[in-house]
Amino acid sequence: MIEASGLIKRYGSTLAVDDLSFVIRPGLVTGFLGPNGAGKTTTIRLILGLDYPTAGTVTVNGKPYQQLTSPMHEVGALLEAKAVHGGRSAYNHLLCLAQTNDIPKRRVAEVLGIVGLGDVARKRSKGFSLGMSQRLGIAVALLGDPQILMFDEPVNGLDPEGILWIRTLMRSLAAEGRTVLVSSHLMSEMENTADHLLVVGRGRLIADCGMAEFIARSSGRAVLVRSPQPDALARAVTDAGASVANTGEPGQLLVRGLGEQQVGDTAFAAGIPVHHLAASRVSLEQAFMELTADSVDYHAAVPAGRSSAHNGMEA
Amino acid sequence: MAALTAGRARPGTGPTPGLRTALVGALRSEVTKIRSVRSTYWTLILLVLASVAWSIANCAGEAYRWSQLAAQDKAGFDPAQASILGLASLGQLIIVVLGALTITSEYSTGMMRTSLTVMPRRGVLYGAKAAVFAAVSLVIAVPASFICFFVGQRLLASTHVAATLSQPDVLRAVLASALYVAMCGLFAFGLGAILRSTAGAITAAYGFLFLLPQLAKALPSTWYADVVRWLPGGDVIAEITSTAPGQIGTHLFSVWGEFAVFGVYTVAVLAVGAVLFLRRDA
Repeated sequence: MIEASGLIKRYGSTLAVDDLSFVIRPGLVTGFLGPNGAGKTTTIRLILGLDYPTAGTVTVNGKPYQQLTSPMHEVGALLEAKAVHGGRSAYNHLLCLAQTNDIPKRRVAEVLGIVGLGDVARKRSKGFSLGMSQRLGIAVALLGDPQILMFDEPVNGLDPEGILWIRTLMRSLAAEGRTVLVSSHLMSEMENTADHLLVVGRGRLIADCGMAEFIARSSGRAVLVRSPQPDALARAVTDAGASVANTGEPGQLLVRGLGEQQVGDTAFAAGIPVHHLAASRVSLEQAFMELTADSVDYHAAVPAGRSSAHNGMEA
Repeated sequence: MAALTAGRARPGTGPTPGLRTALVGALRSEVTKIRSVRSTYWTLILLVLASVAWSIANCAGEAYRWSQLAAQDKAGFDPAQASILGLASLGQLIIVVLGALTITSEYSTGMMRTSLTVMPRRGVLYGAKAAVFAAVSLVIAVPASFICFFVGQRLLASTHVAATLSQPDVLRAVLASALYVAMCGLFAFGLGAILRSTAGAITAAYGFLFLLPQLAKALPSTWYADVVRWLPGGDVIAEITSTAPGQIGTHLFSVWGEFAVFGVYTVAVLAVGAVLFLRRDA
């Protein structure tokens, strides 16, 4: 259980974390989601006692992290994969960390096996690929067999095999009843792994809800319909209680609030011809983008004429 | 994935070690850290080789030209110092690098964040790091000083003035030289904690140990005499390595007085480093 209350972190004039309060409950995979620069890493550093909050408190199992007497047995954390001394072998890296928490040598050998680095244990980590470094970082997190695991952007820069491995690992850790906090700037990363979501933007909490609720709340169902009489169709479905958005394509509408059957029936009743009609579920990625659109620090310039968030959607 | 649970080192949240257990763990960890990177071996091997090479070159040279030396020069010759001056003057250059690296390499690699995550008691981590480094540098510097001494005296045998450890002040000079080297390393360690940069810490240490005494020489001689006793890197090395320290310069404190001065600097730098280590974001 991780509890944050009124967390604020200011670096000079930059407000990295702005009044965050949340509870990360045991036995769930909590996705910590936000655009780059939203304050995810800073929050994790605050949880781990690496940085001190400007205001507010955060506790792990009821205590500030720095007061944990045996932190590796309670929390395992993966920060940057390359936060290792490259001149040290994987085995010695793990050993020197294990010794601080009185973890036996055989556990070092064991986690090397779990993450699949047994064969390169005696090699200096300088020569490791990003994927191998990531595995080494995860081995550190697993050393103390903790109930809480935190992974900061674990799939960043990994190849598909590495991504699959980490996803499988996170799922199996959660299946064992552990608390897993995984941060990402990719909504698609969360779709299959997270039970609960914490969404942040510019340091502020935007959403704190279950994955199912997030999907229901922010995407909903929409129907994409094309007609030679779009204005008449828009009036008809609006009268039937739907909301209509223009997709930018001539003659094409995005209808929310009605199912595809109801949209078809409404058009038929009004005598409006329909050339195309299809259900279109707004992807989580788009829902996330809409939700955080106001909180992205640096927007890329949008090409002229195609700025709508709903354009180009095909079911 | 079954191994994840099968390999459980301890069920539940594990033991709750007190400060003592944490300290023991941190010390073991720091020993593993320092012995598992090559830079430790390179610097320490270089320290021993350079010091011994200096002793060989100097003592063999003195022995070679002994017969041509004036009686006055022979009378002023300090055979013990001839063998260990290299350890103090070259050893300090090298140990400074290791002392700084012991802490700054953790910052430059990002390892410090991992270290603090597994050992969030920062005071314990800092203390263990400094203690292990101090122990390692003494374990190398003390034998190195004796090797320099014995090798040098062996080469000076033909002069019939070679020193023995039983002579007054000889053992003191041999041990003080090693202690001085270790202290230089700790001084650089403290600077490393403050500056968190390898280049910065080494530059600052060299500036203090070499540049300041050299700059002081630009002062009028009476001022220099007043200033240099407060600067460990300058004439102090000659005094520490000497078996007749009183003759080196009346402008200096005694050997242990100079150690006290350097000790105060070192403790101050280590203390400032510790406070910053505890308070700063990692």
